[in-house]
Amino acid sequence: MKRSGRAPGDDRPLAIYAKQANAYQLTGVDKRASELGLRLAMSLADARAIQPKLEAVEAEPEEDARALDAIAGWCERFTPVVVVDPPEGLFLNITGCAHLFSGEEALRDAIVARLYAQGFSARAAVAPTPGAAWAFARYARKPRDDLEALAAFPVEALRLDPQAAALLRRLGMNTIGQLKGAPRGAFTARAGERAMLRLDQAYGRAREALTPRRPPPPVFALRRFLEPIFTTDAIMHVMQDLCTDVIAKLEIRGAGARRVELVLFGVDGRDRVISVGVSRPEREVKALIRLFREKLNVVAENIDAEFGIEAARLDVVHLAPIAETACELVVSEEGRATSEQISGVADILSVRLGAKRVLRPQMHELHAPERASGWRSALSETRDTQTLEPPADGVQRRPIRLFSPAQPIEALATVPDGPPIRFRWRRVLREVVRAEGPERISGDWTESAATRDYYRIEDHEGRRYWLYREGLYGEDETPRWFVHGLFA
Amino acid sequence: MSKAALHEIGPASPGAEAAAMGFALALTASWNPPVIFWAGEEAAFAEEGAPYPVGLAQYGLDLSRLIVIRAKKREETLWAAEQGLAAPGAVVICALGARGKALDLKASRRLLLFAERNRAHCLLLQPEGGPSAAWTRWRIAPAPSDGVERELGPPAFRAELTRNRAGPVGQTFILDWNAHARALTERALVGDLSAASRDGSFEAVRARAGR
Repeated sequence: MKRSGRAPGDDRPLAIYAKQANAYQLTGVDKRASELGLRLAMSLADARAIQPKLEAVEAEPEEDARALDAIAGWCERFTPVVVVDPPEGLFLNITGCAHLFSGEEALRDAIVARLYAQGFSARAAVAPTPGAAWAFARYARKPRDDLEALAAFPVEALRLDPQAAALLRRLGMNTIGQLKGAPRGAFTARAGERAMLRLDQAYGRAREALTPRRPPPPVFALRRFLEPIFTTDAIMHVMQDLCTDVIAKLEIRGAGARRVELVLFGVDGRDRVISVGVSRPEREVKALIRLFREKLNVVAENIDAEFGIEAARLDVVHLAPIAETACELVVSEEGRATSEQISGVADILSVRLGAKRVLRPQMHELHAPERASGWRSALSETRDTQTLEPPADGVQRRPIRLFSPAQPIEALATVPDGPPIRFRWRRVLREVVRAEGPERISGDWTESAATRDYYRIEDHEGRRYWLYREGLYGEDETPRWFVHGLFA
Repeated sequence: MSKAALHEIGPASPGAEAAAMGFALALTASWNPPVIFWAGEEAAFAEEGAPYPVGLAQYGLDLSRLIVIRAKKREETLWAAEQGLAAPGAVVICALGARGKALDLKASRRLLLFAERNRAHCLLLQPEGGPSAAWTRWRIAPAPSDGVERELGPPAFRAELTRNRAGPVGQTFILDWNAHARALTERALVGDLSAASRDGSFEAVRARAGR
C-alpha cells in the first residue's frame, strides 16, 4: 500500500523507510522510485546516495493498519467477506458476488481502478484459493487464475517467513513446482510442516479458515448501481429486489429474519447502516419493505447521500426458524387482530419510535413494589406473560400508576404507627377520609434496607393514593412519608 | 358505547387524571379486546406516574395483550395511536398530557377514521376538549367509596356525559368497577333520569347514552 497524498506535479520519487535491525531501510517505494532503481530493504543512506532528490517518509505502522482497515471496510461494498491480512494485504471472498460486476476479471479491475482513483496503488488477483491469490497478486506479471501457473513461482510466494524460504532454497528448492514434485516425507521433516501446509493451501488440498473483518451475515443480498442513486424512493425500489432475494434464501433455510441491516455504500466511501428488528421471524417481502420505509422516513436526513449511493447490501444478521405449521393453524375470529397483525404493528412502532419506547409488561418474583414488575421491548422474544387474575373481592391492593422515584409528602399522623390524617402533596392539602394498612414491605431493595409501611388512602374527594412511611417511629428522628402510586 | 369508535375522556378537575385513566382502563378491560395500546407522552408518564403492571393486572387488564408506547411528543403519540388502530378490534388509549392544546377536529377525525376502518376503539384522554369527531365525551371524577366505614371500596367514578353525538347529554352516573367480573356497574341514580332502567348493568348506561 502506498500513499500519494502529495501535491500534483510533485514528481520526486517517494520512499517509506523504517528502522530495522538498527538501520533505516526502505519498506516501500513508489513507481517512480522503483524505476530509478530503488528497491525494498535497501538502506536509506544508499537510497539517498543513488537519488539525492528522494523524498523519504518514515513509516507509521499504526497509521498503515488503520488505513488498511478502512480500505477493507470500503471493500465490503463488493462482498461482505473481507479478511485483513496485515501488513498490506486483503482477501475478498467474492463467491456469489462476481456476477453483479459482470465477471471476476471485471470486478478485480474495478476494485484496483477505484483504489487507484483514491490514491492507493494495488495489485489484485482472482484465484480459486486464498494462497494462490496471494501468490498471483505479488508474483504474477499478468494476473492469471490458473493454478498450473503457480509452479513457476519462487517458494517465497507460499507466504513463508524469510528463514523458511531461505532453508528451502539451500535445499535446492527454488520454485513451488520443485517443492511440489519433491518427495513429501523428507521435506516435511526438514523444511517444516508449515511450508507443506502452505503448499497444500495454495493448491486447495488443505482448507484454510480466514477470519473476516466482520462476521459475515448468514444471508445477504447485494446490488450495485450503474449510476449512483440519491433518493429514498430509489432506495426503496432497490429494497424490493434485495428483499425478494433475501427472502428466497430464507425460504430455503426454513427461517425468517429477526434483525435485518441495510448497508448503503456511498460514492464518498462511507457506508450507512440502517437496522430493523422484528418481533417474530419475518419472511414477507411486503412487511420488510414497510418496516424499512418507516425507518427511512426517520433516518432520511442522516443518510446524507450528497454524492449518491453506489451499492447496497441487505444482511439478515439474525434469523430464526419459522414453524411452518404454526402459521396455518391460527384461526382468527372475525374482527379480532391475529398475533401476527399485532406483532406487525409493534414492529412498525418500534422501528419508528425506537425499541425502548414500545414495551410489554413483565412480572418479576420480587417483593419491592418497584421491582415486582417491569417492561421489556415488544420486539424481544415472546415469553408467556404470567396471567394474573384480579382478586375475587375486587379490592385493589396495588395502584395502576407508580411514581419512580416515590414523591415525598408532608404528612400528619395522630398515632405514631397509624396512617396520616392529612397530607400535603403538590402543594395541595388532602384530608384523609379512609385508610387501610399498614402493609409492611421489607426486603429485597438493596440500596436502603429501610422498612416501608404502606397505606391505601382515600381523600375527601375520593382520590386514592398509595402512601408509605419509611423507617419506624423511635428509631430515627422522624419517619418520612411518600406517595408511591395512584389508584383509580 | 362499545360500538362507536372514538370516545373522549377527561378529568372533571385537575387531580382527577388517575380516575379518568381508571375509567378508560375499565372500559377497555370490559370490552376484552385482542390487544391494548396505551400511547402516552414521556412527560405525562413522569407527571401522572408510569403504568404499573402489578396494579393493572389486579385492575382486570390482561397484561399479555398490553403494549405501552412512551412517545417523546404529541405527534408521535398520535401517530402511534393511528398505527395501533390498524389492528382489528384493538383498543387504543391515546393519552395526551395536560400540556399542549386540545386535539383539533381534523386530528380527531383521523383517529375516528382509522378506528372505524378496523373496528377498533380509540379512547382519547385529554383535559379539555374542543370541537371533536368523538361520539361521546365524558368528564370523570373519583367517587368516594360507600362501603364499610374507613375501608376502601372498589374503584368508583362519577362520570358525566358532556357530549353525545347520538343522544341526550348532561347525565351523570356513579359507577363502580368490578375488576373480577370486568364490569362497570351503576351504583345509584343521580340527576333526573327517572326513566332509566335499574338493572344496574352498564348496558343501562349505554342505553341511556343513546348507543
